[in-house]
Amino acid sequence: MSVVGQCIASFIFGTVAGLLVQRSRFCNTAALRDAILFKTYRNTKALLVAMMILTVGFTVFISVGQGHPMYFDVGLNTFAGLFLFGIGMVLAGACTVSTWVKTGEGNIGALWALLFTFVGMFLFSLVWSADYGPPPPASMTGHPDLASLQLGFANAATLQKTFGIPAVVFGLVQAAVLFAIYRAILRRERRVAQPARAEAASALAPLVKAAE
Amino acid sequence: MEFFKKTLDPVIALIAIAVLDVFLFMVVGAWTVGGGETMMTGLIAKGILGHGIERLPFWRLVYVPSFLYWKIYISLGMFTGALIGAVLSKEFYIRYPRRVSEWAMITVGGLLMGIGIRLSFVCNVSTFFGLTPEMNLGGYLAVSGILAGAWFGSMIYKKVLGI
Repeated sequence: MSVVGQCIASFIFGTVAGLLVQRSRFCNTAALRDAILFKTYRNTKALLVAMMILTVGFTVFISVGQGHPMYFDVGLNTFAGLFLFGIGMVLAGACTVSTWVKTGEGNIGALWALLFTFVGMFLFSLVWSADYGPPPPASMTGHPDLASLQLGFANAATLQKTFGIPAVVFGLVQAAVLFAIYRAILRRERRVAQPARAEAASALAPLVKAAE
Repeated sequence: MEFFKKTLDPVIALIAIAVLDVFLFMVVGAWTVGGGETMMTGLIAKGILGHGIERLPFWRLVYVPSFLYWKIYISLGMFTGALIGAVLSKEFYIRYPRRVSEWAMITVGGLLMGIGIRLSFVCNVSTFFGLTPEMNLGGYLAVSGILAGAWFGSMIYKKVLGI
C-alpha cells in the first residue's frame, strides 16, 4: 500500500475509533484506575474483551505470515517507561487516546495534558541525544544484550519458529488466560452485587407486604 | 439518531474497535498513538527551531520529522471522530479544570506520559491493543509496568484527593 494510502486508512480507523470511544466514554486510564481505586470494572471488562479478540485475530494472521507486527527490541526501559506513563496517566486523568478524544469534546485540561506530553517527548529527545539509550531502531539486534538492559525481540512469530507450533495455538492460550481474568471480575461483581440486592429486598419487603 | 442520544456500551464499542484494529494490522500495523505524537513533536520542534533540530541526533536517527507517517493520522482521526460525536450528541462544550492543583497534576502527568512513551518506545495503546495481542515480550513488560505505575499513581491520587 502506498504511503498516502496508509495515512488515509489510519485516518479512517482513527475517526471511527474516536467516535466509538467518545460515544461509549471508554477510557484506558479508567480501566486501570477504577479497578484499583474504586473496584469498579466497566472499562476493564471492555478492555479485556478487546484484547481477547485481538489476540486471536493477530495470531491467526501471524501464523500464516500475514500482518504487520511491531518489530523492535525491548528491555527494562519498556517496563520503566510504562511505569512512568502509568503514574502520569492517573495524575493527568487521561491516556493517549482520551487526551485526543476529550480534546475533541472541548476539554482544555486534556489539551493541556497533550501539550505537555509533547514537551515531555521533546525533553526526552534531548536526554536521548546525550547518551543514545535505549538503542535506536537501526542498531537493534533482536538479541538480548544484558549490558544495556535489553532483552531482544520475541513475539508470537518467534514462538512459532522456535517450537514449530502455529502462533494461533499460543494466541488461544493467552485468550483463555484473559477470559479467566474476565470471569473472575464477573464473579467478583456478582459477589458484591448480591449482598446489596439482599439488603434492598429486605428493605422493600414491608412495602411489598403492605401493597399486597 | 439513537446512537447520539444514549451512551454506548463500552464492550460493544471495543469489540468494533478490535475488529477494525485487526484490519489495520493487515494494512499497516496495530493501533498506536505514541509514535504519531512523537512525530508531531518533531514537526512542531522543526517548525520552531528550523534546521537547528538536526543537531539533535534523536531527530536524525530515531524519528526524522515527516508528514507522511501513518501514525499521525490515527491521532488526528481520533480527534475528528470525537469532535463529530460530541457535536452531534450535543456534548461539545469548552470545559477546563477549576483548581490550580488539577492544573499542576495534569502538567506533571502529561510530562510523565511523554517521557515514559519515549523511554519505552511504546504507549498504552500499543501495549494493550498491539504488543500484548501480538504476544510480544515487550507487551508483558509494558503491562506490568503500566499496572505498577497506575497503582502508584492511584496512591498519589488518593493522597491528593484525600479519599
